[in-house]
Amino acid sequence: MLLTPEIVPGLVATGASARVDQQVKPSFSVGDKIRVRNYNPATHTRLPGYLRGKLGVVEADYGVFAFPDTHAHGLGEKPQHCYSVKFTAVEVWGETASTRDTLRVDLFDDYMVPE
Amino acid sequence: MNGIHDLGGMHGLGPISPEKNEPVFHEEWEKRAFRLFASTFVFAGYTIDEFRHAIEKLEPAHYLESSYYEHWLHAFEETLSKRGIVTREELDARVAKLKKEDH
Amino acid sequence: MPKPHIAAPESDAAIRVRALESILAEKGLIDPKAIDALVDTYENKVGPRNGAKVVARAWVDPAYKERLLKDATAAIKEFGFSGLQGEDMVVVENTPEVHNLVVCTLCSCYPWPTLGLPPVWYKAAPYRARAMSDPRGVLQEFGTELDEKVEVRTWDTTAELRYLVLPERPAGTEKLSEDELAALVTRDSMIGVAKVNSSAA
Repeated sequence: MLLTPEIVPGLVATGASARVDQQVKPSFSVGDKIRVRNYNPATHTRLPGYLRGKLGVVEADYGVFAFPDTHAHGLGEKPQHCYSVKFTAVEVWGETASTRDTLRVDLFDDYMVPE
Repeated sequence: MNGIHDLGGMHGLGPISPEKNEPVFHEEWEKRAFRLFASTFVFAGYTIDEFRHAIEKLEPAHYLESSYYEHWLHAFEETLSKRGIVTREELDARVAKLKKEDH
Repeated sequence: MPKPHIAAPESDAAIRVRALESILAEKGLIDPKAIDALVDTYENKVGPRNGAKVVARAWVDPAYKERLLKDATAAIKEFGFSGLQGEDMVVVENTPEVHNLVVCTLCSCYPWPTLGLPPVWYKAAPYRARAMSDPRGVLQEFGTELDEKVEVRTWDTTAELRYLVLPERPAGTEKLSEDELAALVTRDSMIGVAKVNSSAA
């Protein structure tokens, strides 16, 4: 399909959401304690290394989205829940970090295990 | 992948140095690179995830030394050549031709 | 005798872009007019003034603020701002107890419909490396000091949600109109590296 001038405004205004309109059972609920998996794929992932193995709490469930780790490689959308997860600065960066500050990261269901 | 792009927490990368009142595009070629993204997504059918991964695979030192739109350019060349839409040979030949015309 | 003007040699990247563009155009795969429209949209039409309008409305209209915090995508769309890189929005509110900061450590994800295209510093390695691990140091570099008692919450845009900070309304602005308030709201305050001042600098 060719991108023509007529298409541009609509494309800009609508975009391309990664949400998938499918019912998928979430593994986690808001308030759950989780541990980030020790997951080190050589392929695409949206799990930042600094979170591996860390303990967090699920703060929000954003719904079902395409999973980048498979989608990047033509392996399908593997739709799953994406959550906002809270980590304390001390948990992630160690004892010298602020005892008050927190990190909030969007994590896919597959990145976590229950703690 | 545990690549160079996974920067969270890294030390030693220097000050942030924000530019005051910076323009949206610093060079003409950046505009050309920017405007290619929507067109190529639309006809080539690759996902933003694939595009990002192409950038992640840049040689690490080059990733840090090159500018943002150079990353995009690399991703276009990578994803389009992977699909056989444009070949590396075609690109190299055209670059050589344009360089000759400039002189 | 004046020196002859010697134009700077075209950079490697510039030639490569021209090469790619010319090949795609020859193959009929790109329409030059369509791609010009894209540049015009993001250079001139979409920018932080959009987000500033959203912030000002939230400051003056408590019901709007509630809608914004509950379903940011829909509330932002009330202004006609929507779409590319803002399909799924989340607005996070600064309060006297909480200061929010947004980053994309892995690349450069940013809410285009409300803030336009991101500045170079947001996409570059230093900010991406330090925002999550040293947010107070980052804020200091921008001249923003925070009380020890404030919780700094740093959001890493790792998925397709896009974050916008709702900065605190500065004191002494009670008499300002919505437009005047919007004029105070800076891009940097909606990323979270700065606060809003009661007079535009």
